[in-house]
Amino acid sequence: MTQTSVSAKVSGEAYGAPAPKSGENTWLWLLKIVTGPLLVIFLAVHFIVNHYIGETGLLTYKDVVAYYQNPLIPIMEIGFLASVVTHSLLGLRGIILDLKPSRNFLKILDWVFLIAGILIVVYGTWLALTIASRGA
Amino acid sequence: MEKPSPDKFWTWFNPVGRETGGWAFILNRVTALGLTFYLYLHLVILSQLATGPQAYDQFVALMRNPISISAEVLVVAAGIMHGLNGIRIVLTTFGFGVTRQKQLFYGLMALALVIILFFTVRMFTA
Repeated sequence: MTQTSVSAKVSGEAYGAPAPKSGENTWLWLLKIVTGPLLVIFLAVHFIVNHYIGETGLLTYKDVVAYYQNPLIPIMEIGFLASVVTHSLLGLRGIILDLKPSRNFLKILDWVFLIAGILIVVYGTWLALTIASRGA
Repeated sequence: MEKPSPDKFWTWFNPVGRETGGWAFILNRVTALGLTFYLYLHLVILSQLATGPQAYDQFVALMRNPISISAEVLVVAAGIMHGLNGIRIVLTTFGFGVTRQKQLFYGLMALALVIILFFTVRMFTA
């Protein structure tokens, strides 16, 4: 690759439409793209309900427990968590790919990210259900 | 400019000689790293809810100071810029506006600025 084409690539203008990079599975890349707009919606809902519910929004422990009594809320929050964790781990993996990791490193990283992602969602699910059960 | 490599990763953030797309790339990556850090911090802090009312309410009270609120404004600003810039990426992924990326980027960032200003005022006056 010549110097000019490298610099055109880095400038970003020559990319055209975004595409998966080498080492990035097309479906996982698409999952990262699709979870994006989903997160915009989830985050908007998260902000509106957290700040505009009741008089002051969810400012105290009591408010949060009361809010979690509607069964749709824990379901929504867990869905939000699963999407945001997926998006962030796939995004981090994309950044690490730019560091040109070895095949072995990437293999280990994929397992670490997969297990970490599952554990975080399990933790969040436990937390949401714990809070929901406090009101009963 | 060189391609990204393990010993030269700071060149990702080198603003010299960049065009709009390069700025969009830097902005997306910096906000991504910040938001990832905040996300996991947020999840750890929310475990206070499991500890009980006292721990959680004390923590919320502790965070109501100008320094914490300024940090939260940064998080909100990063989220809005990353989200709106992400909309451009989604659109161009599916073939919309590929030749109008610059205008799309500037338009979305102008919108981001307005929303960030709204949040900043609200967060400091609420």
